[in-house]
Amino acid sequence: MKTKIEILKQIDDQNDVKWLLFWLIGIQVMLVWNNLFLNSPAFSLLKEAFFNSFKIGFIVIVFSLLLSWGMINFSLYLKNRNNWIYHYLFTFVINMIRSIPQILGVLIGYIVLTFILNNEMLKSEFMVIVFIGFVISFFVFLEMFDTMENRIEQFKKNDFYPAMLVSGISEYRIVNVEIFYKNSLGYIFHKLISMFGVALFLQCSIDFIISVGLSTDVSLSNFPITLGSLLAKMDSKQDILAIGKTLTDPLYGINLFFEHLQGISAAFIIVFTLMSIFKISNGFVKRISR
Amino acid sequence: MDTKYNIEIKKKNKPLVVIDEYTLEENKITFLFGESGIGKSLISKALMGLIDSEDLTVKINNQKYDDYLKQQKSIELLKNGFFVFQEPSSHLHPLLTLESQLNEGLLAEKELDIEELKRLWQGKSAEELKRFLKVYPKPYRPSGGEKQRVLCLMALKKMDIVQKAGMGDKGLFVFDEPTGNLDNFYRNIFISLLIEKYIESPFTITFITHDYSIISFIQKKYPHLLKDIRFKELYRKQNKVAEKEFIPSEYINWVKSIKVRIPDGERYDKSILLKFKKDFSVFGKQFTICDDNNRERETDLIVEAGDIVYLKAPSGVGKTTFAKIIMGLVKAEKYNFWLNGIEITEKKSANIWRNKLWGKVISMVFQHADEALNQKSKVKEVFDGIKLNHHAEVKDVLLDLFDPEIITDFFLNKKIDSLSGGQKQKLNLLRGFVLDAKLLILDEPVNGMDFESIKKVINLIEKKRRLGLGIILISHNEEIFDSFVDENKKYYLKEKGKNNF
Repeated sequence: MKTKIEILKQIDDQNDVKWLLFWLIGIQVMLVWNNLFLNSPAFSLLKEAFFNSFKIGFIVIVFSLLLSWGMINFSLYLKNRNNWIYHYLFTFVINMIRSIPQILGVLIGYIVLTFILNNEMLKSEFMVIVFIGFVISFFVFLEMFDTMENRIEQFKKNDFYPAMLVSGISEYRIVNVEIFYKNSLGYIFHKLISMFGVALFLQCSIDFIISVGLSTDVSLSNFPITLGSLLAKMDSKQDILAIGKTLTDPLYGINLFFEHLQGISAAFIIVFTLMSIFKISNGFVKRISR
Repeated sequence: MDTKYNIEIKKKNKPLVVIDEYTLEENKITFLFGESGIGKSLISKALMGLIDSEDLTVKINNQKYDDYLKQQKSIELLKNGFFVFQEPSSHLHPLLTLESQLNEGLLAEKELDIEELKRLWQGKSAEELKRFLKVYPKPYRPSGGEKQRVLCLMALKKMDIVQKAGMGDKGLFVFDEPTGNLDNFYRNIFISLLIEKYIESPFTITFITHDYSIISFIQKKYPHLLKDIRFKELYRKQNKVAEKEFIPSEYINWVKSIKVRIPDGERYDKSILLKFKKDFSVFGKQFTICDDNNRERETDLIVEAGDIVYLKAPSGVGKTTFAKIIMGLVKAEKYNFWLNGIEITEKKSANIWRNKLWGKVISMVFQHADEALNQKSKVKEVFDGIKLNHHAEVKDVLLDLFDPEIITDFFLNKKIDSLSGGQKQKLNLLRGFVLDAKLLILDEPVNGMDFESIKKVINLIEKKRRLGLGIILISHNEEIFDSFVDENKKYYLKEKGKNNF
């Protein structure tokens, strides 16, 4: 049986686990605090924004994983079939997507979403969330694609890959089972953690940009509420601006935790989550490379 | 006086090497054999105080490592000794010229012996050697063999220094596979230099190697020194490692007895599996294949069913590259060969290997089992993705090279990365042999193996040959394979316009 001290020491050695615990505790404390001091409609809004943002984040990593994995196998299929023209075309398309700045790509996706909403083609809020997740993953999945490709290249550099090839082992098996499943889960998982952070950051940035409105009929008020759009609300902006007041009136700082909770909490979740993800993914890499 | 050591080396409480009564025979040359990964280097590093105690836990004679290292005797071992590391690339400073490294620290006490240098770099003029010493050891220059010779030269210098100080009997000189990248010609020169130093005044030397043919060389050239030379082998005994005397005649008699004898009337389809035209070029260099019995006579390389062909070449000339050309893994500029009746030239699409040849007609066992096997797989998963012959089970396949008592469920569930180098090499070979291919290329098949395993591998090769498999052997272990393979089936690969001998 491990003693409590041993368990604590083990956690202290594992930066990723430590920061995951910090994050969980930090979010819990914030929710309890908000439950006590934030008015009920704003608290509901904050919780909804929190869960929607995280839902989108998870959808992004699921879609990105599927897209990149699918593309890797498709690329393998084209190479194996000797379809070099299609393979060059495929590479061209991939590079086209790569050339579009992620934030611009997602913005274009939101414009498409606005068009869809204007035409009432999507009615369920969940489907809108899925659509947003898909749009973001379409412009970020190449990060995962590159990680997977790098892993394959790494194994191609030594005898691992050719030794299996000449034994008649299928290339799909070498890539999917021998390289990805048996040798790269840690790397893929690490990438997923950082992509979750990227997804959260992109969402918040875009929500802020479009807070000025996309059309007369569709605005942030038609979109599912997320942390970014919550932060873009006038109330939250005022809460954030209140931080500036503490520069000239430090005693006002105490009010931030009672009277400006909506904006401060949304900002706290975003910043604290992004920082925690950064620490978790770095700690995770350190642990798997030990 | 001999010193006995009880050594225990652990990593996070997991024992790596535990050996009782490891003997360091003072003022003797000990050639230490044993399968790769059994702990030969670790034991020697531990004695020399070269193990990082933050990484591994070491106990010597029940003492903590730090206490052992504080003893006068331990201090003297390193101070008056030297350790030539196995991997020369990582032990030379890339930002210092070879000359400055040969004169670094204590080595500066003695000038570089030009005669030794000339002997280790035969054929090079004084001017060429001068230029060579000014080289910075970057990854691809000098070659592995040259780097290894530089390290050996450092050790020889240190021997002179220690000898002059009258401390020759206090130190320990460890050579960890110092001839692994050298062909027999340079290997023999180095061993001769070492023994000449030893004759001047004796040292305690541990020479770690897998090259059993050193035994024959020593027996032939230095029979009068056999009283001062020990041949020992490390082996596993339950959960520990133990040492035993290796009887040289056992190896020498075995080598004489292994010649492939094709009985009259042995019948199988004698179809030509491979005919490789004698000239080819790759990486901007031109090569030619010759008859090994007459290295001036150029000839096509032919492998028929049931043939064992031995391909030789000087170290670094490109035996593995040649094998990779046959396997379609290296794109050469010009070549022409027939593989099971299919003509292949540089114009042929790479897909022909994928669709028609790999695993079906031809396969190859790569030199480094560490790279060729998936280290994260379990033993029982090594053959996943391959159709086993006649629905054989993994256990049946392993019986060809492993002792029956080792093939337990525990062993089958072990991860490859926890196996010894010799065990990995056996699995690597078995993956090649289990296929239904007609032609198999074996690149250094007995690398890292102990004597018992080498014997098993040779038996297995002969067994498969009798079943009609064509085999191309690539190995620097000339003594074993020269003796094993028929005289008419030996080829020599050389680069055109170069002195290849």
